[in-house]
Amino acid sequence: MKRDKRFNSGIVSSLNPIGFNLERWSYTVHRITGVILVGYLMAHIFETFQLGAGSTAWTNTMAALHSLGPLELVGLWVVAGSALYHGGNGIRLVLNEAFGWFMGKPILPVYPYSPTSLGKNQKIAVWTITGVVLALWMWAGVYLLAGIGVI
Amino acid sequence: MDNFTLKISRSGGKRVSYRVKYRKGMTVLDALTEVREKQDSSLGYRHSCRMGICGSCGMTIEGRPMLACQTQVSSLNKETISIEPLHNMAVIRDLVVDIVPFIDLHRSVRPFLMRNDVNERDHSDREYRVLSEEVEKFLQFDYCIMCGLCYAACPTVALDPFYTGPQAVAQAYRYMADPRDEGWEKRIDILDTSHGVWRCHMAGACSFVCPKDVDPAKALQLARMEVLKRRVLRKRGREGSGLVPPPVSGAAKEGVRPPPFDFGGPEK
Repeated sequence: MKRDKRFNSGIVSSLNPIGFNLERWSYTVHRITGVILVGYLMAHIFETFQLGAGSTAWTNTMAALHSLGPLELVGLWVVAGSALYHGGNGIRLVLNEAFGWFMGKPILPVYPYSPTSLGKNQKIAVWTITGVVLALWMWAGVYLLAGIGVI
Repeated sequence: MDNFTLKISRSGGKRVSYRVKYRKGMTVLDALTEVREKQDSSLGYRHSCRMGICGSCGMTIEGRPMLACQTQVSSLNKETISIEPLHNMAVIRDLVVDIVPFIDLHRSVRPFLMRNDVNERDHSDREYRVLSEEVEKFLQFDYCIMCGLCYAACPTVALDPFYTGPQAVAQAYRYMADPRDEGWEKRIDILDTSHGVWRCHMAGACSFVCPKDVDPAKALQLARMEVLKRRVLRKRGREGSGLVPPPVSGAAKEGVRPPPFDFGGPEK
């Protein structure tokens, strides 16, 4: 019998959290911020590599970056947000995975079911991290704008 | 609600709509049965018990893996209900998916009690000792009905077809937490791989969709902690629990044992 390939499987399906739980949304943001950080790391390595190519190359690279204008700042702000979220959520995941924090103990399920691994403690952890990250991200935005004398 | 529409993803990528008359208490499985009986007998879907026990009628309803027999049409509160096969599995026909790879993963973690002394296991006339507080450590994971919803919801399975998956890891942990089991070394070899417990990133979708509150995400993190303890910290696994003491009855005192229980099977 001929069988199709796996239905709706792949990156798009993996990153689609619509209709799912808060932690799945957190997973998606964690993945996207991870990709942004890898992209930034590659660009940063390329940028610093120009130092070895001589002062002219370095000056040209800096000039090209500065010619982006406000986009350069927005880019840095996005990188700052990505680093904050990825780091903060990463700490929660380490506590989950290595120490079993916020997971709860095995219980006897009683209807209506409510998995303890996605329970109150986990939700508090996710929302706390989100709140702290948002506050720091806003502060980073103000810091960046102050750096160029806008405020 | 008088009538509603089922928009079903069928073989070959077609999406076919069926208008169904609503009746009180109607489940999605009832609606599918009505479509097959009255409108289109070629519609393929799998079901058996109709009461959330067999786990056959798993499908993606409104973007989320659910059991059709346990999903009330009224709870969805939609005029048009979208139904697709379970994600991450190959489609055989319409809503029927190939669960063989999923079952193979379940088998791969050896979901049964393993003992070092096979002779004692197979020929003992007494059962192994297990305390009620020890049962609580694994009973939750024992309620798995192998419906495959967790496997379909898992974003890691979507990316890595070789990933052991939440269901299989939860079942591996179920036996690792059982005091009667002595097979932890063999199971850890299966779990401690790049496609094993380390692949999970705690999206929790498996526990969110589980219809029996098996909480595979919890089992997975507990299994990961076990692997860390025994592989990284080099802690030794425990010995399996022994047999219960012989009954202090007159017959036992006299050394008379009851005959072994007859499990049936082919006559010799």
